Amino acid sequence: MLARFRRPSPWASSPPSREKKGGRGGVGKSCLLLQFTDKRFQPVHDLTIGVEFGARMITIDGKQIKLQIWDTAGQESFRSITRSYYRGAAGALLVYDITRRDTFNHLTTWLEDARQHSNSNMVIMLIGNKSDLESRREVKKEEGEAFAREHGLIFMETSAKTASNVEEAFINTAKEIYEKIQEGVFDINNEANGIKIGPQHAATNATHAGNQGGQQAGGGCC
Amino acid sequence: MLSSVPQRKTRWKSKKMVKVTRSYPIFPFLNVWEEVRGLLPVDGEPNPGVGLGVEEGLLCQMVHSPEFNLFPDSVVFESNFVQVKKGRNWVDIYKASNTMAVGVTSSVPCLPLPNILLMASVKWHQGQSQTWNRPSKAPKIILKRILPLKFVELQVCDRLQRILQLRTVTEKIYYLRLHPDHPETVFHFWIRLVQILHKGLSITTKDPRILVSHCLVPKNSCSPSEDSNSVQKKPQASQPSESLLQLMAEGESEALAQIFADLHQPSQLSSRSSKKTQIKRDNSEKNTPSEDSIPCTPDLRWRDSFTYGEWERENPSCPQPLSLLSTLAASMGPQLAPLIGNSI
Repeated sequence: MLARFRRPSPWASSPPSREKKGGRGGVGKSCLLLQFTDKRFQPVHDLTIGVEFGARMITIDGKQIKLQIWDTAGQESFRSITRSYYRGAAGALLVYDITRRDTFNHLTTWLEDARQHSNSNMVIMLIGNKSDLESRREVKKEEGEAFAREHGLIFMETSAKTASNVEEAFINTAKEIYEKIQEGVFDINNEANGIKIGPQHAATNATHAGNQGGQQAGGGCC
Repeated sequence: MLSSVPQRKTRWKSKKMVKVTRSYPIFPFLNVWEEVRGLLPVDGEPNPGVGLGVEEGLLCQMVHSPEFNLFPDSVVFESNFVQVKKGRNWVDIYKASNTMAVGVTSSVPCLPLPNILLMASVKWHQGQSQTWNRPSKAPKIILKRILPLKFVELQVCDRLQRILQLRTVTEKIYYLRLHPDHPETVFHFWIRLVQILHKGLSITTKDPRILVSHCLVPKNSCSPSEDSNSVQKKPQASQPSESLLQLMAEGESEALAQIFADLHQPSQLSSRSSKKTQIKRDNSEKNTPSEDSIPCTPDLRWRDSFTYGEWERENPSCPQPLSLLSTLAASMGPQLAPLIGNSI
Protein backbone atom coordinates (compact mmCIF):
# COMPACT_ATOMS: atom_id res chain seq x y z
CA MET A 1 0.00 0.00 0.00
CA LEU A 2 1.24 3.39 -0.81
CA ALA A 3 0.05 6.18 1.33
CA ARG A 4 0.50 9.70 0.22
CA PHE A 5 0.71 12.25 2.93
CA ARG A 6 0.56 15.76 1.82
CA ARG A 7 1.87 18.33 4.06
CA PRO A 8 -0.01 21.48 3.42
CA SER A 9 2.76 23.89 3.79
CA PRO A 10 0.43 26.77 3.62
CA TRP A 11 -0.07 25.99 7.19
CA ALA A 12 3.00 27.91 7.90
CA SER A 13 1.81 31.37 8.30
CA SER A 14 4.71 33.38 9.48
CA PRO A 15 5.65 36.24 7.25
CA PRO A 16 8.72 35.85 5.09
CA SER A 17 10.61 38.41 7.04
CA ARG A 18 10.12 36.53 10.22
CA GLU A 19 12.05 33.59 8.96
CA LYS A 20 14.92 35.65 7.94
CA LYS A 21 14.91 37.75 10.98
CA GLY A 22 14.79 35.05 13.50
CA GLY A 23 16.92 32.75 11.47
CA ARG A 24 14.34 30.12 12.07
CA GLY A 25 13.39 27.70 9.45
CA GLY A 26 9.83 27.37 10.52
CA VAL A 27 7.82 24.94 12.46
CA GLY A 28 9.91 22.01 11.34
CA LYS A 29 7.93 20.19 8.70
CA SER A 30 10.88 19.43 6.48
CA CYS A 31 12.91 18.33 9.47
CA LEU A 32 10.15 15.97 10.51
CA LEU A 33 10.12 14.47 7.06
CA LEU A 34 13.87 14.09 6.98
CA GLN A 35 13.84 12.47 10.39
CA PHE A 36 11.14 10.07 9.28
CA THR A 37 12.62 9.12 5.92
CA ASP A 38 16.35 9.37 6.63
CA LYS A 39 16.44 9.16 10.39
CA ARG A 40 18.58 12.24 10.69
CA PHE A 41 18.21 15.80 11.80
CA GLN A 42 19.45 18.74 9.83
CA PRO A 43 19.36 21.89 11.93
CA VAL A 44 19.60 24.21 8.98
CA HIS A 45 17.23 23.47 6.21
CA ASP A 46 16.35 25.22 3.02
CA LEU A 47 13.15 27.10 3.06
CA THR A 48 10.74 24.86 1.25
CA ILE A 49 9.32 26.30 -1.90
CA GLY A 50 6.90 24.39 -4.00
CA VAL A 51 6.82 20.77 -3.00
CA GLU A 52 9.53 18.33 -2.01
CA PHE A 53 8.93 14.64 -1.91
CA GLY A 54 9.82 11.88 0.44
CA ALA A 55 8.78 8.29 0.74
CA ARG A 56 9.18 5.41 3.11
CA MET A 57 7.95 1.89 3.38
CA ILE A 58 6.22 0.91 6.58
CA THR A 59 4.42 -2.19 7.70
CA ILE A 60 0.92 -2.11 9.08
CA ASP A 61 -1.01 -5.20 9.94
CA GLY A 62 1.61 -7.28 8.20
CA LYS A 63 1.24 -5.34 4.99
CA GLN A 64 3.85 -3.20 3.43
CA ILE A 65 2.74 0.29 2.73
CA LYS A 66 4.59 2.95 0.87
CA LEU A 67 3.99 6.35 2.32
CA GLN A 68 4.48 9.04 -0.21
CA ILE A 69 5.02 12.30 1.58
CA TRP A 70 4.68 15.72 0.07
CA ASP A 71 6.52 18.40 1.90
CA THR A 72 4.97 21.68 0.98
CA ALA A 73 6.05 25.20 1.63
CA GLY A 74 4.82 26.59 4.87
CA GLN A 75 5.17 30.24 4.24
CA GLU A 76 2.10 32.28 3.79
CA SER A 77 3.42 33.61 0.53
CA PHE A 78 3.39 30.13 -0.97
CA ARG A 79 -0.04 29.35 0.27
CA SER A 80 -1.84 29.60 -3.01
CA ILE A 81 0.65 27.22 -4.53
CA THR A 82 0.38 24.68 -1.80
CA ARG A 83 -3.36 24.68 -1.95
CA SER A 84 -3.31 23.01 -5.29
CA TYR A 85 -1.53 20.01 -3.87
CA TYR A 86 -4.03 19.04 -1.21
CA ARG A 87 -6.02 17.10 -3.71
CA GLY A 88 -5.42 13.42 -3.62
CA ALA A 89 -3.99 13.25 -0.15
CA ALA A 90 -5.25 10.63 2.25
CA GLY A 91 -3.71 12.22 5.27
CA ALA A 92 -2.03 15.35 6.47
CA LEU A 93 0.16 16.48 9.28
CA LEU A 94 -0.67 19.95 10.49
CA VAL A 95 2.36 21.21 12.26
CA TYR A 96 2.93 24.07 14.63
CA ASP A 97 5.89 25.09 16.72
CA ILE A 98 5.30 24.83 20.45
CA THR A 99 7.79 27.64 21.01
CA ARG A 100 5.89 30.06 18.81
CA ARG A 101 2.41 31.04 19.76
CA ASP A 102 1.74 32.62 16.39
CA THR A 103 2.11 29.29 14.64
CA PHE A 104 -0.55 27.85 16.89
CA ASN A 105 -2.83 30.81 16.39
CA HIS A 106 -2.88 30.26 12.66
CA LEU A 107 -3.87 26.64 12.84
CA THR A 108 -7.51 27.39 12.20
CA THR A 109 -6.74 29.10 8.93
CA TRP A 110 -4.60 26.26 7.71
CA LEU A 111 -7.08 23.70 8.82
CA GLU A 112 -9.86 25.43 6.96
CA ASP A 113 -7.67 25.63 3.92
CA ALA A 114 -6.81 21.97 4.05
CA ARG A 115 -10.34 20.85 4.55
CA GLN A 116 -11.60 23.06 1.82
CA HIS A 117 -9.19 21.75 -0.75
CA SER A 118 -8.90 18.13 0.21
CA ASN A 119 -10.87 14.99 0.50
CA SER A 120 -13.34 15.27 3.35
CA ASN A 121 -12.13 11.96 4.70
CA MET A 122 -8.53 13.02 4.84
CA VAL A 123 -6.93 12.08 8.14
CA ILE A 124 -5.32 15.04 9.80
CA MET A 125 -2.85 14.81 12.61
CA LEU A 126 -2.00 17.90 14.59
CA ILE A 127 1.65 18.04 15.50
CA GLY A 128 3.20 20.28 18.09
CA ASN A 129 6.83 20.15 17.07
CA LYS A 130 10.04 21.09 18.89
CA SER A 131 9.03 19.39 22.09
CA ASP A 132 12.69 19.26 23.00
CA LEU A 133 12.61 23.02 23.58
CA GLU A 134 10.59 22.80 26.75
CA SER A 135 12.15 25.89 28.26
CA ARG A 136 10.93 27.99 25.38
CA ARG A 137 7.47 26.54 25.22
CA GLU A 138 4.73 29.03 24.45
CA VAL A 139 1.93 26.62 23.71
CA LYS A 140 0.87 24.19 26.37
CA LYS A 141 0.33 20.63 25.42
CA GLU A 142 -3.19 20.88 26.77
CA GLU A 143 -3.94 23.63 24.28
CA GLY A 144 -2.88 21.43 21.42
CA GLU A 145 -4.96 18.60 22.76
CA ALA A 146 -7.96 20.85 23.11
CA PHE A 147 -7.62 22.16 19.59
CA ALA A 148 -7.34 18.67 18.23
CA ARG A 149 -10.33 17.51 20.21
CA GLU A 150 -12.41 20.42 19.05
CA HIS A 151 -11.62 19.83 15.41
CA GLY A 152 -11.54 16.08 15.37
CA LEU A 153 -7.82 15.71 14.84
CA ILE A 154 -5.27 13.33 16.20
CA PHE A 155 -2.64 15.07 18.28
CA MET A 156 0.96 14.47 19.17
CA GLU A 157 3.92 16.50 20.24
CA THR A 158 7.11 15.66 18.45
CA SER A 159 10.72 16.60 18.21
CA ALA A 160 12.36 16.30 14.84
CA LYS A 161 15.64 16.93 16.59
CA THR A 162 15.46 14.08 19.06
CA ALA A 163 13.16 11.98 16.87
CA SER A 164 10.71 11.84 19.72
CA ASN A 165 7.33 10.66 18.46
CA VAL A 166 8.27 11.25 14.82
CA GLU A 167 7.81 7.63 13.82
CA GLU A 168 4.62 7.48 15.79
CA ALA A 169 3.22 10.58 14.16
CA PHE A 170 3.59 9.27 10.66
CA ILE A 171 2.75 5.70 11.40
CA ASN A 172 -0.27 6.51 13.50
CA THR A 173 -1.56 8.69 10.70
CA ALA A 174 -0.99 5.86 8.28
CA LYS A 175 -2.76 3.46 10.62
CA GLU A 176 -5.71 5.78 10.80
CA ILE A 177 -5.85 5.87 7.02
CA TYR A 178 -5.53 2.12 6.92
CA GLU A 179 -8.42 1.73 9.31
CA LYS A 180 -10.53 4.00 7.18
CA ILE A 181 -9.73 1.85 4.22
CA GLN A 182 -10.75 -1.24 6.15
CA GLU A 183 -13.96 0.44 7.16
CA GLY A 184 -14.69 1.33 3.59
CA VAL A 185 -14.49 5.05 4.21
CA PHE A 186 -11.91 5.38 1.48
CA ASP A 187 -12.81 4.05 -1.91
CA ILE A 188 -9.58 2.40 -2.87
CA ASN A 189 -10.70 2.29 -6.47
CA ASN A 190 -10.82 6.03 -6.55
CA GLU A 191 -7.32 7.31 -6.96
CA ALA A 192 -8.45 10.75 -5.94
CA ASN A 193 -8.45 9.43 -2.40
CA GLY A 194 -4.72 9.15 -2.52
CA ILE A 195 -4.68 5.43 -2.08
CA LYS A 196 -3.35 3.07 -4.63
CA ILE A 197 -3.31 -0.67 -4.49
CA GLY A 198 -0.59 -2.22 -6.55
CA PRO A 199 -0.40 -5.78 -7.79
CA GLN A 200 0.67 -6.72 -4.33
CA HIS A 201 0.40 -3.48 -2.58
CA ALA A 202 -1.79 -0.60 -1.84
CA ALA A 203 -0.82 2.98 -1.87
CA THR A 204 -2.06 5.62 0.42
CA ASN A 205 -1.54 9.28 0.17
CA ALA A 206 -1.31 11.22 3.28
CA THR A 207 -0.88 14.88 3.54
CA HIS A 208 1.05 16.90 5.96
CA ALA A 209 0.03 20.23 6.96
CA GLY A 210 2.25 22.49 8.81
CA ASN A 211 1.40 25.75 10.09
CA GLN A 212 3.20 28.83 10.55
CA GLY A 213 6.67 29.62 10.23
CA GLY A 214 7.54 27.34 7.56
CA GLN A 215 6.67 24.06 8.79
CA GLN A 216 6.35 21.59 6.22
CA ALA A 217 2.90 20.89 5.60
CA GLY A 218 1.24 20.18 2.56
CA GLY A 219 2.40 17.96 -0.06
CA GLY A 220 3.16 14.41 -0.04
CA CYS A 221 3.09 12.90 3.18
CA CYS A 222 4.47 13.88 6.24
CA MET B 1 -6.19 -4.94 0.52
CA LEU B 2 -2.87 -6.35 0.53
CA SER B 3 0.00 -4.11 0.27
CA SER B 4 3.43 -5.03 -0.69
CA VAL B 5 6.53 -3.35 -1.84
CA PRO B 6 5.94 -2.19 -5.36
CA GLN B 7 8.35 -3.70 -7.76
CA ARG B 8 10.03 -1.18 -9.89
CA LYS B 9 9.38 -3.00 -13.05
CA THR B 10 5.78 -3.41 -12.24
CA ARG B 11 5.46 0.18 -11.33
CA TRP B 12 7.00 1.16 -14.60
CA LYS B 13 4.58 -0.97 -16.48
CA SER B 14 1.75 0.71 -14.77
CA LYS B 15 3.17 4.06 -15.72
CA LYS B 16 3.37 3.06 -19.28
CA MET B 17 -0.30 2.50 -19.17
CA VAL B 18 -0.87 6.08 -18.30
CA LYS B 19 -2.50 7.96 -21.05
CA VAL B 20 -0.75 11.20 -21.61
CA THR B 21 -3.31 13.80 -22.33
CA ARG B 22 -1.97 16.59 -24.41
CA SER B 23 -3.08 20.11 -24.57
CA TYR B 24 -3.74 20.30 -28.27
CA PRO B 25 -7.39 21.13 -27.87
CA ILE B 26 -6.47 24.13 -25.82
CA PHE B 27 -4.57 25.61 -28.70
CA PRO B 28 -6.55 25.15 -31.84
CA PHE B 29 -4.69 27.99 -33.42
CA LEU B 30 -1.44 26.15 -33.08
CA ASN B 31 -2.85 23.07 -34.60
CA VAL B 32 -4.09 24.96 -37.58
CA TRP B 33 -0.79 26.67 -37.93
CA GLU B 34 1.07 23.43 -37.72
CA GLU B 35 -1.15 21.84 -40.25
CA VAL B 36 -0.48 24.67 -42.63
CA ARG B 37 3.19 24.09 -42.23
CA GLY B 38 2.78 20.39 -42.48
CA LEU B 39 4.39 19.91 -39.14
CA LEU B 40 1.81 17.84 -37.42
CA PRO B 41 3.03 14.31 -37.36
CA VAL B 42 1.21 11.97 -39.61
CA ASP B 43 -0.49 9.15 -37.84
CA GLY B 44 1.98 6.44 -37.21
CA GLU B 45 4.96 8.72 -37.45
CA PRO B 46 6.98 9.07 -34.32
CA ASN B 47 6.62 12.28 -32.42
CA PRO B 48 9.85 14.21 -32.92
CA GLY B 49 9.67 15.51 -29.39
CA VAL B 50 9.51 11.99 -28.09
CA GLY B 51 12.35 10.98 -30.34
CA LEU B 52 14.47 13.77 -28.97
CA GLY B 53 13.64 12.72 -25.45
CA VAL B 54 11.95 15.97 -24.54
CA GLU B 55 8.33 14.89 -24.61
CA GLU B 56 6.49 12.08 -22.92
CA GLY B 57 9.66 11.18 -21.14
CA LEU B 58 10.29 9.63 -17.79
CA LEU B 59 9.35 12.72 -15.88
CA CYS B 60 6.16 13.22 -17.79
CA GLN B 61 5.18 9.63 -17.33
CA MET B 62 5.86 9.86 -13.64
CA VAL B 63 3.91 13.01 -12.86
CA HIS B 64 1.01 11.89 -15.03
CA SER B 65 0.94 8.45 -13.47
CA PRO B 66 -1.78 7.57 -10.97
CA GLU B 67 0.78 7.78 -8.22
CA PHE B 68 1.09 11.53 -8.67
CA ASN B 69 -1.55 12.47 -11.17
CA LEU B 70 -0.17 15.96 -11.45
CA PHE B 71 -0.91 18.38 -14.28
CA PRO B 72 -2.46 15.57 -16.31
CA ASP B 73 -3.54 17.83 -19.14
CA SER B 74 -0.29 19.67 -19.53
CA VAL B 75 2.59 18.70 -21.71
CA VAL B 76 5.97 18.32 -20.07
CA PHE B 77 9.16 19.47 -21.74
CA GLU B 78 12.01 17.59 -20.17
CA SER B 79 15.56 16.44 -20.57
CA ASN B 80 18.14 14.46 -18.78
CA PHE B 81 20.93 16.28 -17.03
CA VAL B 82 24.06 15.44 -15.16
CA GLN B 83 24.53 17.47 -12.04
CA VAL B 84 27.95 19.07 -12.02
CA LYS B 85 29.91 21.43 -9.83
CA LYS B 86 32.34 24.16 -10.56
CA GLY B 87 36.02 23.67 -10.21
CA ARG B 88 38.81 24.18 -12.62
CA ASN B 89 36.60 22.20 -14.89
CA TRP B 90 33.11 21.02 -14.51
CA VAL B 91 33.05 17.94 -12.39
CA ASP B 92 30.27 15.42 -12.18
CA ILE B 93 28.81 15.24 -8.71
CA TYR B 94 27.36 11.80 -8.99
CA LYS B 95 28.17 8.60 -10.78
CA ALA B 96 27.34 8.46 -14.45
CA SER B 97 24.44 6.19 -13.76
CA ASN B 98 22.77 8.88 -11.67
CA THR B 99 21.20 11.67 -13.63
CA MET B 100 18.60 14.29 -13.04
CA ALA B 101 15.47 14.68 -15.10
CA VAL B 102 14.41 18.29 -15.29
CA GLY B 103 11.33 19.54 -16.99
CA VAL B 104 8.82 22.33 -17.19
CA THR B 105 5.10 22.15 -17.42
CA SER B 106 2.02 24.17 -16.64
CA SER B 107 -0.25 23.79 -13.69
CA VAL B 108 -3.04 24.69 -16.06
CA PRO B 109 -2.70 23.89 -19.75
CA CYS B 110 -4.11 27.19 -20.87
CA LEU B 111 -1.31 29.23 -19.38
CA PRO B 112 0.81 30.87 -22.06
CA LEU B 113 4.06 30.06 -20.33
CA PRO B 114 5.10 27.11 -18.21
CA ASN B 115 4.93 27.87 -14.54
CA ILE B 116 6.17 24.68 -12.96
CA LEU B 117 9.61 23.15 -12.80
CA LEU B 118 9.98 19.47 -12.10
CA MET B 119 13.08 17.74 -10.84
CA ALA B 120 13.63 14.04 -10.41
CA SER B 121 16.61 11.83 -9.78
CA VAL B 122 17.12 8.95 -12.15
CA LYS B 123 19.26 5.92 -11.58
CA TRP B 124 19.99 4.03 -14.76
CA HIS B 125 21.01 0.49 -15.32
CA GLN B 126 24.42 -0.34 -16.63
CA GLY B 127 24.86 0.55 -20.26
CA GLN B 128 21.35 1.83 -20.66
CA SER B 129 20.67 4.68 -23.02
CA GLN B 130 19.86 7.52 -20.70
CA THR B 131 17.58 9.46 -22.93
CA TRP B 132 15.43 6.65 -24.09
CA ASN B 133 11.88 7.30 -23.06
CA ARG B 134 10.71 3.77 -22.95
CA PRO B 135 13.56 1.59 -21.94
CA SER B 136 12.94 -2.11 -21.68
CA LYS B 137 14.21 -2.00 -18.16
CA ALA B 138 12.93 0.99 -16.30
CA PRO B 139 15.42 3.17 -14.49
CA LYS B 140 14.63 4.14 -10.97
CA ILE B 141 13.15 7.59 -11.03
CA ILE B 142 12.26 9.56 -7.91
CA LEU B 143 10.42 12.82 -8.09
CA LYS B 144 12.29 15.24 -5.88
CA ARG B 145 10.87 18.68 -6.25
CA ILE B 146 8.15 20.70 -7.83
CA LEU B 147 8.99 24.37 -7.98
CA PRO B 148 6.95 27.27 -9.20
CA LEU B 149 8.99 28.76 -12.02
CA LYS B 150 8.50 32.21 -10.66
CA PHE B 151 10.79 31.24 -7.81
CA VAL B 152 13.42 29.81 -10.10
CA GLU B 153 15.97 31.44 -12.31
CA LEU B 154 17.20 29.43 -15.23
CA GLN B 155 20.32 30.53 -17.07
CA VAL B 156 22.60 29.19 -19.71
CA CYS B 157 25.79 28.86 -17.74
CA ASP B 158 28.20 27.33 -20.23
CA ARG B 159 26.96 26.97 -23.72
CA LEU B 160 29.84 24.91 -25.00
CA GLN B 161 29.54 22.46 -22.17
CA ARG B 162 25.76 22.63 -22.44
CA ILE B 163 25.36 23.58 -18.81
CA LEU B 164 22.38 25.33 -17.32
CA GLN B 165 22.33 27.05 -13.99
CA LEU B 166 19.19 26.62 -12.00
CA ARG B 167 18.87 28.94 -9.03
CA THR B 168 15.98 29.00 -6.65
CA VAL B 169 14.80 32.00 -4.73
CA THR B 170 16.34 30.39 -1.67
CA GLU B 171 19.73 30.55 -3.40
CA LYS B 172 20.01 26.86 -3.92
CA ILE B 173 21.95 26.44 -7.11
CA TYR B 174 22.16 23.49 -9.41
CA TYR B 175 24.53 23.27 -12.33
CA LEU B 176 23.07 20.91 -14.85
CA ARG B 177 24.90 19.59 -17.86
CA LEU B 178 22.66 18.30 -20.58
CA HIS B 179 23.24 14.62 -20.90
CA PRO B 180 25.58 13.77 -23.76
CA ASP B 181 23.04 11.39 -25.22
CA HIS B 182 20.83 14.34 -26.07
CA PRO B 183 21.47 15.89 -29.47
CA GLU B 184 22.56 19.51 -29.68
CA THR B 185 19.09 20.43 -30.78
CA VAL B 186 17.79 19.72 -27.33
CA PHE B 187 20.12 22.22 -25.76
CA HIS B 188 18.93 24.80 -28.27
CA PHE B 189 15.45 24.13 -27.01
CA TRP B 190 16.59 24.90 -23.51
CA ILE B 191 18.31 28.06 -24.68
CA ARG B 192 15.11 29.06 -26.30
CA LEU B 193 13.17 28.30 -23.17
CA VAL B 194 15.57 30.35 -21.09
CA GLN B 195 15.18 33.22 -23.50
CA ILE B 196 11.46 33.11 -23.30
CA LEU B 197 11.43 32.81 -19.54
CA HIS B 198 13.70 35.82 -19.30
CA LYS B 199 12.15 37.99 -21.90
CA GLY B 200 8.67 36.71 -22.19
CA LEU B 201 6.61 36.12 -25.21
CA SER B 202 7.84 39.23 -26.95
CA ILE B 203 10.71 37.32 -28.45
CA THR B 204 8.26 35.08 -30.16
CA THR B 205 6.71 37.89 -32.09
CA LYS B 206 9.44 38.41 -34.62
CA ASP B 207 7.65 36.65 -37.36
CA PRO B 208 6.04 39.38 -39.43
CA ARG B 209 3.53 36.88 -40.65
CA ILE B 210 2.08 36.71 -37.21
CA LEU B 211 -0.21 39.51 -36.26
CA VAL B 212 0.22 40.16 -32.62
CA SER B 213 -2.54 42.06 -31.00
CA HIS B 214 -0.59 42.95 -27.92
CA CYS B 215 2.48 42.15 -25.95
CA LEU B 216 2.36 40.54 -22.56
CA VAL B 217 5.70 41.83 -21.52
CA PRO B 218 6.22 45.36 -20.32
CA LYS B 219 8.10 47.45 -22.81
CA ASN B 220 10.94 48.07 -20.47
CA SER B 221 11.67 44.40 -20.27
CA CYS B 222 11.56 43.61 -23.95
CA SER B 223 13.98 45.65 -25.86
CA PRO B 224 13.56 45.10 -29.58
CA SER B 225 16.98 46.49 -30.28
CA GLU B 226 18.53 44.09 -27.90
CA ASP B 227 16.86 41.21 -29.58
CA SER B 228 17.76 42.31 -33.03
CA ASN B 229 21.31 42.93 -32.01
CA SER B 230 21.64 39.53 -30.59
CA VAL B 231 20.33 38.03 -33.74
CA GLN B 232 22.75 40.00 -35.85
CA LYS B 233 25.63 39.06 -33.69
CA LYS B 234 25.05 35.49 -34.34
CA PRO B 235 27.87 34.16 -36.43
CA GLN B 236 26.98 32.50 -39.63
CA ALA B 237 28.97 29.47 -38.73
CA SER B 238 26.87 28.87 -35.72
CA GLN B 239 23.71 28.60 -37.68
CA PRO B 240 22.35 25.14 -37.75
CA SER B 241 22.22 23.12 -40.87
CA GLU B 242 19.09 22.86 -42.92
CA SER B 243 18.43 19.45 -41.57
CA LEU B 244 18.83 20.71 -38.07
CA LEU B 245 16.50 23.57 -38.78
CA GLN B 246 13.97 21.18 -40.06
CA LEU B 247 14.48 18.95 -37.10
CA MET B 248 14.07 21.81 -34.73
CA ALA B 249 11.07 23.10 -36.51
CA GLU B 250 9.48 19.73 -36.29
CA GLY B 251 10.66 19.13 -32.82
CA GLU B 252 9.46 22.43 -31.63
CA SER B 253 6.14 22.01 -33.24
CA GLU B 254 5.66 19.02 -31.09
CA ALA B 255 7.58 19.86 -27.99
CA LEU B 256 8.26 23.51 -27.55
CA ALA B 257 5.21 24.67 -29.33
CA GLN B 258 3.29 22.88 -26.69
CA ILE B 259 5.47 24.17 -23.97
CA PHE B 260 5.76 27.62 -25.31
CA ALA B 261 2.10 27.69 -25.86
CA ASP B 262 1.80 27.17 -22.16
CA LEU B 263 4.58 29.52 -21.37
CA HIS B 264 4.09 31.64 -18.40
CA GLN B 265 5.11 35.19 -17.94
CA PRO B 266 8.77 35.64 -17.09
CA SER B 267 9.52 34.55 -13.63
CA GLN B 268 9.73 37.18 -11.00
CA LEU B 269 13.19 36.14 -10.19
CA SER B 270 14.30 36.31 -13.77
CA SER B 271 12.89 39.74 -14.20
CA ARG B 272 14.55 40.89 -11.09
CA SER B 273 17.91 39.74 -12.11
CA SER B 274 17.74 40.34 -15.79
CA LYS B 275 21.15 41.88 -15.70
CA LYS B 276 22.54 38.58 -14.66
CA THR B 277 21.16 36.64 -17.51
CA GLN B 278 24.16 36.69 -19.72
CA ILE B 279 25.96 33.46 -20.25
CA LYS B 280 28.76 32.69 -17.94
CA ARG B 281 31.20 31.10 -20.24
CA ASP B 282 33.99 30.26 -17.90
CA ASN B 283 34.66 29.35 -14.38
CA SER B 284 36.29 32.59 -13.46
CA GLU B 285 33.58 33.66 -11.11
CA LYS B 286 34.46 33.98 -7.52
CA ASN B 287 32.18 33.67 -4.60
CA THR B 288 29.83 31.41 -6.36
CA PRO B 289 27.52 29.50 -4.15
CA SER B 290 28.42 25.92 -3.80
CA GLU B 291 26.27 23.40 -5.51
CA ASP B 292 23.64 21.88 -3.42
CA SER B 293 24.86 23.87 -0.52
CA ILE B 294 22.50 24.86 2.18
CA PRO B 295 21.83 28.51 1.66
CA CYS B 296 21.16 31.05 4.27
CA THR B 297 17.58 31.92 4.76
CA PRO B 298 16.75 34.41 2.07
CA ASP B 299 15.01 37.66 2.45
CA LEU B 300 11.81 37.12 0.62
CA ARG B 301 10.26 40.41 1.49
CA TRP B 302 10.73 41.59 -2.03
CA ARG B 303 7.99 39.27 -3.03
CA ASP B 304 5.53 41.25 -1.03
CA SER B 305 5.72 44.03 -3.54
CA PHE B 306 4.71 41.77 -6.37
CA THR B 307 1.58 42.46 -8.14
CA TYR B 308 0.35 39.27 -9.61
CA GLY B 309 -1.33 39.47 -12.93
CA GLU B 310 -3.63 36.98 -14.46
CA TRP B 311 -0.75 35.30 -16.24
CA GLU B 312 1.18 34.76 -13.09
CA ARG B 313 -1.54 33.04 -11.22
CA GLU B 314 -1.27 29.39 -10.59
CA ASN B 315 -4.85 28.94 -11.57
CA PRO B 316 -6.11 31.56 -13.95
CA SER B 317 -9.72 32.30 -13.59
CA CYS B 318 -10.61 31.50 -17.14
CA PRO B 319 -9.17 30.18 -20.36
CA GLN B 320 -6.83 32.66 -21.89
CA PRO B 321 -7.74 34.45 -25.09
CA LEU B 322 -6.61 32.85 -28.26
CA SER B 323 -5.21 36.13 -29.45
CA LEU B 324 -2.26 35.43 -27.23
CA LEU B 325 -1.50 32.33 -29.11
CA SER B 326 -0.39 34.32 -32.06
CA THR B 327 2.58 35.39 -30.03
CA LEU B 328 3.49 31.81 -29.49
CA ALA B 329 3.20 30.51 -32.95
CA ALA B 330 6.16 32.53 -34.05
CA SER B 331 8.33 30.54 -31.76
CA MET B 332 7.70 27.56 -33.91
CA GLY B 333 8.48 29.22 -37.17
CA PRO B 334 11.54 28.81 -39.28
CA GLN B 335 12.69 32.22 -38.13
CA LEU B 336 13.59 30.56 -34.89
CA ALA B 337 16.71 29.38 -36.57
CA PRO B 338 18.59 32.66 -36.34
CA LEU B 339 18.31 32.55 -32.63
CA ILE B 340 19.89 29.21 -32.40
CA GLY B 341 23.42 29.31 -31.27
CA ASN B 342 23.05 32.81 -30.11
CA SER B 343 24.06 34.00 -26.74
CA ILE B 344 21.34 35.09 -24.49
